[in-house]
This record gives sequence, structure tokens and C-alpha cells, in this order.
Amino acid sequence: MTVLEFFADHTYRMVLAGTVTIGFVAGALGSFAYLRKQSLISDVIAHAALPGTLVAFLAAVAVAGTGGRSMLVLITGAVLAGTIAVAFANHVARTSKVGIDTAMAVALTVFFGAGMLLLRIIANGEFPGKGGIQDYLFGNASVITTADFVTSLVVGMLALGLMVLFWKEFALRTFDPDQSTALGFRAGVIDTLMFTTIVIATVIGVKAVGLVLMVAFVVTPPAAARQWTRTLRGMVWLSAAFGAVGSGVGAWLSILLGTVPTGPLIVLTLFAIFLVSLLASPRRSIVVTVLSRRRARAALKRELTGEGANT
Amino acid sequence: MTFVAGTALLAVVTALACALPGVFVVLRKDSMLVDAISHAVLPGIVVGYFLTRDLESPLLIVGAALAGLLVAVGSEWLCRTGLLTGDAPQGLVFPALFSAGVILVTTNFANIHLDTHAVLVGDLNLAAWDQLTVGGVSIGPTYLYVMLAVLGFDCAFLAVSYSRLKVTTFDPQFAASVGVRTGVVNTAFMFVVSLTVTAAFHAAGAILVIALMIVPPATAYLLSRRLPTMIMSTAVIAVTGALAGFWLAYLLDAATSAGMAVFFGLIFVAVHVASRLARHLRHRRRAGRTPAPVS
Repeated sequence: MTVLEFFADHTYRMVLAGTVTIGFVAGALGSFAYLRKQSLISDVIAHAALPGTLVAFLAAVAVAGTGGRSMLVLITGAVLAGTIAVAFANHVARTSKVGIDTAMAVALTVFFGAGMLLLRIIANGEFPGKGGIQDYLFGNASVITTADFVTSLVVGMLALGLMVLFWKEFALRTFDPDQSTALGFRAGVIDTLMFTTIVIATVIGVKAVGLVLMVAFVVTPPAAARQWTRTLRGMVWLSAAFGAVGSGVGAWLSILLGTVPTGPLIVLTLFAIFLVSLLASPRRSIVVTVLSRRRARAALKRELTGEGANT
Repeated sequence: MTFVAGTALLAVVTALACALPGVFVVLRKDSMLVDAISHAVLPGIVVGYFLTRDLESPLLIVGAALAGLLVAVGSEWLCRTGLLTGDAPQGLVFPALFSAGVILVTTNFANIHLDTHAVLVGDLNLAAWDQLTVGGVSIGPTYLYVMLAVLGFDCAFLAVSYSRLKVTTFDPQFAASVGVRTGVVNTAFMFVVSLTVTAAFHAAGAILVIALMIVPPATAYLLSRRLPTMIMSTAVIAVTGALAGFWLAYLLDAATSAGMAVFFGLIFVAVHVASRLARHLRHRRRAGRTPAPVS
């Protein structure tokens, strides 16, 4: 297949553009989740997106009568449910002795369990346009429509816009929460904004890659980018670039190979980028650590034996 | 034994087998690791099937448990490189393994019934389908006895390594300084967790396994200040929650595993709210008793 043929196909174009958008947005905003040491929150969000999507679907069917499949309606439901799940987890961790990991696990099971209950109700009932609603569970990149792509692009840009607008507040809250509070920034407001952007970044990808794998889009690019850079700006840009390139390459590979699903291939591509970064980035990596340790050992040895010769 | 009674019993035994190791999972702040392990079960089963070509083989469970252990050990290794922070290591390993599993399924076994949906969701009623009959009398689902064996194994492990687990959980530095091999204890414990998750997976599905392992201990943690109390209340919450949740799901004709998971979550929320209220009232009463400052 030539490059021209590739781009002439509408489905291929949509798959590529859609996944690259998802990778870019998730990579950029995942940096904040990573730096706040709460990367797995995106797993909670992705699972909570299921009941949110289904409730939005049911509400749309009840109000509009037919076709509750508008991407915007479903994303709104998912964002709301995701935000509630995050708020619940953070609240439980703050107000009880249960740790944040346990609070996140509880939020995940409750929301996902509710989602599975709703899924059973929808599967048994008569609802217009219910076909393909289970794509939200496991993801299907080949069903990205132009409307889906435009919606995720617009919503994603909105989240990135929020990040740019509140850049200073986000950075301060991430690196020095006490200083941020002392300077008079409202911690609750900033946290809500920051986690909302992370929720959006997670939710726009669930339909294409599935709720199990979405966590990789938020975790992997920042973890790789962190090994190459020391500034927040550099990390966000690099992480977004890794996300976009990894998604593009993965999507392209899956189209070339034909039968292999897109989401898992993208995740493996991202994982490969991460492994290379971890092994061999020139600044922080396993190779650098081993080399510098060896050098230090040799220097110490020289010093000790040299001293022994002088006295 | 009737089908419903057998299935309810299976639910109770599965709940106990999950919740007891869960006590230490919660105390070690490793709760999300259970989520990660439960997703690694799929590639484990696929590779196990690749080697045995038999969906009934018990080796599949061992393969899946090893895959779960790979997640635990792999993320711990990533942590130890010192190049990553927070909970990212777990989030890095399990999606990669899960992806590898999905790709293996779609490229090799497209014609075989290894449905990712069934693997992820699981169903108590399906697991209880196979009834064990002795002398023509049904004595409950076969899988009940598998879970009983797992429960026995868990109890034995916890009993034997109770003191070592306790000291490595609460004070790992002290444990290392008095000569407890913390690495070995961790790996052994992770293997037990992994095996339990895998075995319970077939009966309960991913979502209920996490709920069973995390929510009863988390609820008990809110209510207790000592480890023995916490273990006892975990067991009580697991059993009553499993029975009530199963009964409710049966009554409402809802999906059993999902209904039970939500029910356990509601128990946690209720206890959390109640304990917050109680604390609030206590503070108020104490504040009322202190005399007003003399002006």
C-alpha cells in the first residue's frame, strides 16, 4: 500500500487522525497525573466512563426519543461520571484512614459494577440505536466517524486550552501544594480543574481503544518523557509527541497487518518507546546509572590504591 | 443441594478466599495491584492454552497466576530502578501484557471460543453450572471445591507467615534489620494473591474479584484499630455482604457479579459516612463539655 492509497481511504484517515488526537491529548495531560503520582486515576476514570456513557445514552433515549448515540452527549455523561469517581476517591482518601490506592479501587469497582448492571438492562431492553454500545467496553478504532473525530478534537482542545490557561496554577499545585495554598490559590478549585482535564483526556479515547487499555495512553508517554527532560514544559510537549507518534505508528501498523486490533498495537508501541527511554536515554536511564556507578567505583578504587602507594 | 444454595455457597467461599489476603493488600497500600493482576490473567490463560491446547487444564490457572506475578514483580522492579514515581509502574506493565494477550487471541485463536468478554466479566451462575455428584446425590458445584481448596491454601499461608507478613507490612525497615527476608515474603505473598485472583476470576469475573479483595478489608479498616479485629471484621463483612448481595441480585434479577460488587461498594460508603458522622458527633460533644474561655 502506498502512502497515497493509505490517505485516500476515509476509514484509514479517520483511524489515524482519531488515535493521534487521543494520543496527543492524553500524553500532554497525563504528565500532570504522573507528576502528582496518581497515574492510575485514569484507570478509575476509564472504568467510570462506562456507567456515565450508558446513563447519558438512556437519558438521550428518554428525552429525544430516538438515537441516543451522539458522541457529544455520551462524552458529557462519561466526563461527569469520571469526575464524580475521581472526587469520590480523593474525598475518601482525604477524610478517612483508607489510602488513595484503596479509595481508587473502591471507586473503580462501584462505578464499573454499576456500568455492568446498566449494560445488562440495556441489552435486555428495547432501545433505539443500542447496537455497538458495547464497543465502549473494548474499543473499536475502525468505527471512528467524522463526527466522533471532530468531537474528540474539539473536546480535547478544550482540555488543552484549560491546561494552558491555568498553567502556572497547575504547575505550582503539582510541585508545591503548600506554597500554592499559602499564596491563596484555592486547592479544591485547581484540583477539580486539573482532574477534569485528565478526565477529558481519558474519556475521549475510551470508544477507540477500550476502557481497559486507555490507562496506557495516560501513563506510558509521561513515564517515557520523564527520562529525557527536566522541565515541566519539555515533559508535556515530549509526552504529547510520544503519545501522538506512538498512536500514529500503532494505528498504521494495525492497518498494514490487517487483522490485528488497533488499541493493543498502539499500547505495545508506546511500551516500546517507554522501554527504549528507560534503558538508554542520555540523562536518566538504566544504562546511564550503571555506567556512572561503574565510573564512581573505579574512581574510588584509584583513589584508595593511589593513596596506598603514596604512604 | 439446590442450584441457588450451591451458587450462594460458592459466592461466600469465594468472598472469604479473596478478602483474607485482601487485608494485607489494603494495609500494604497495594490495592490497585489487584486490578493490574486481574487484567494480566487474560495473557496468562492465552499462553497457557498455547502450551496445553486444553481449556480445561489446571495449568491454565498456574499460567495466569504466573502472569499476575509478572505484573507484581515487574512493577516492583520498575519502582526499584528509581527512575519512575508514584503508581505509574503498575499502569505501565499490565496494559502491555493485556495487549499482548488480545493480539495473541486475535491472531492465533480467532476460531476458538476464548471470548475476551467472558474472561473479563465472569459469571457465578456459569461457574456453578457443573455440579459434583457423589453416589447420585448432588453436593454442590464442582468449582465450590476448587475455591474451598484455595481458601484452605490462603488460610494456611496466612497462618504460617502471619508474623512475618505483619512485620513486613507495618515496618519493612525493622523487618529487614531483624533479618526477615522482605523480598521473599513479598514475592510469596504476591504469588498467593495472584493465585487467589486467578482462581476466583472464573467464579466472579474481574470486577467482583477486585471488589471482594479490597472492599471488605477497606470497610473493616475503617472500623478497627488492631490487626486481629480487622481480620475478624473482614471475614464477617465478606460473608454477610456476599450473602446479602447475592440474594439482592437474585431478587432484582440483576447481573450477579456486578450487583454484588455494587452492593459491597454501598456497604463501604455507608460505613464511611456513619464513621464520619460518629466522629463529628464525638467532637461536638467534647467541644460542648469544655468550659468557655474566661474573658
